[in-house]
Amino acid sequence: MSTSVEQVTGEARRGRGSGEVAAFRGVSKHFGTVRAVNDISLTLHPGETVAFLGPNGAGKSTSIDMLLGLREPTSGSVTLFGGSPRQAILDGRVGVMLQSGGLMPDVKVRELIKFASDIHPRGYDVDDVLKTAGITELADRMVDKLSGGQEQRVRFALATAGDSDLIVLDEPTTGMDVSARHAFWAVMRAQADAGRTVLFATHYLEEADSIADRVLVVHKGRLIADGTAAEIKARAGLRKISFDLRPEDGADLSLLNAVPGVNSLDVSGHTVRINSSDADAAVAAIYRAGFYPRGLEVTGVGLEQAFITITGEQDAADRNTADRNTADLTEENAR
Amino acid sequence: MITLTRLEILRVLRNRRYLVFTIVMPVGLYLLMVSAYSGVDTLGGVSVKAYFMVTMATLGTVSASMNTNATRIALERKSGWARQLRLTALPGYGYVVAKIAATAASTLPAIVITFAVGYSEGVRLAAGNWLLLGLVLWVGGFVFAALGVALGYSAGPDSLQPIVMIVYMALLMLGGTYFQFTGSMANFAKWTPLALYNQLGRVAQAGGSMSGGELTAILAYAAAFAALASFLYRRDRREA
Repeated sequence: MSTSVEQVTGEARRGRGSGEVAAFRGVSKHFGTVRAVNDISLTLHPGETVAFLGPNGAGKSTSIDMLLGLREPTSGSVTLFGGSPRQAILDGRVGVMLQSGGLMPDVKVRELIKFASDIHPRGYDVDDVLKTAGITELADRMVDKLSGGQEQRVRFALATAGDSDLIVLDEPTTGMDVSARHAFWAVMRAQADAGRTVLFATHYLEEADSIADRVLVVHKGRLIADGTAAEIKARAGLRKISFDLRPEDGADLSLLNAVPGVNSLDVSGHTVRINSSDADAAVAAIYRAGFYPRGLEVTGVGLEQAFITITGEQDAADRNTADRNTADLTEENAR
Repeated sequence: MITLTRLEILRVLRNRRYLVFTIVMPVGLYLLMVSAYSGVDTLGGVSVKAYFMVTMATLGTVSASMNTNATRIALERKSGWARQLRLTALPGYGYVVAKIAATAASTLPAIVITFAVGYSEGVRLAAGNWLLLGLVLWVGGFVFAALGVALGYSAGPDSLQPIVMIVYMALLMLGGTYFQFTGSMANFAKWTPLALYNQLGRVAQAGGSMSGGELTAILAYAAAFAALASFLYRRDRREA
């Protein structure tokens, strides 16, 4: 994984930073007998925009808590900018937007943001912060009278009220409608373009796909994938095949079961949809079996499907039994 | 931290609950008590009007700590605001310090207004005693501010309501806010925190002295509440 270009930008920004924003070294966190995080090692580099993906309960929140020093790992070490997370936060190097970070009630938006920039060692001018977060028109509103999406933007303003090097966002677009989400990510990109490192947890996979230049996938407490969205999609190796079969072509649908590399097969009416780990072989086999597929399309899957596949693979490996359907199919092919 | 304190004071002043419990209620009760005790001359060694002026000022102080501050801390822990603050450059103790400072600042008007009403009812003290009394009541209020912080960290907002209610009522009943116990109950009640606080106020008001035991008890309560607050606060941070 090469991030040398971003590293230069990040370090040139202010001449501080050791080329390592955050590092997990063999980090585990146990709650009683539950292993919420299991031996995770990773390094974040300056200027990266990193998406943190995982199903609910995968260990995302626990990992973020440890990254920010809110929880201590059971074993292993977490460092931020080469020191303790707490020190990095006190130095104002980290801006954080929590998923459900409550806001101080009974104050106006401007008062709250003013406070955030005042306590930041390198706080920005309040008006600039409000403008960047797109909440200038909310400045005189009471914090407790905001809608969900407006609250999210205020939280974002809190996270960006000063000149921080790392911005951590936990599910930042929850509660925003589509246009608000787009506006939000445009602002976020500007933060990344300014050389900041951005780490965000999300369950909107298209956000990870289009915004992150690095994707981390955690599942059952383990880091099971770390790469660009394209690499992760390629690793899942899946493609979708779809076509129509017409009755007059004399199709015997049962023959489809003999097609190799099929992960899932779905026939509805005349339309056949196949998820295949070897689309080339599958298409060749379909023709060999005497089918005449109409309107044949072979497309790559999105990050979402790749995500389901690799977490599924992990589950299968955990059960220590091969996926029965795949095994049966392979056996039949071998005969 | 100064910014946070300023903001906390602003919030308290905007809060209707604060106005009701810390200003309106003590003043209203004062007028009520004075008329209820119109046939009695002295209570606890001072005139009825002076007696209730002290207990109503302390009522305002205790209310600000218990009803406003404890509840707020519990709510803000639940909502995640306390957590968000821990992710800022604010030092860890800043939140609690700002809360206590804001409580202290907001009890001052309660004391001054109660004094003004007492004066208008005919309570007369030497200038030095007004000042001393005000100072004693204000500084003594920190003991209850610490108790309020401890309560705020002791439970979530829902289960806290009854806890605050019970502690608050017990303090007021035993503390002589509305009446004084007689007999064996009085011997017990006079050692409760609010009773000692009121006693301290009366001494500042009318002269006299407190026994070494009473002074020790006041300091012991202050130390115990501060230690409890600090313990519960740390436990909360460990749990994140």
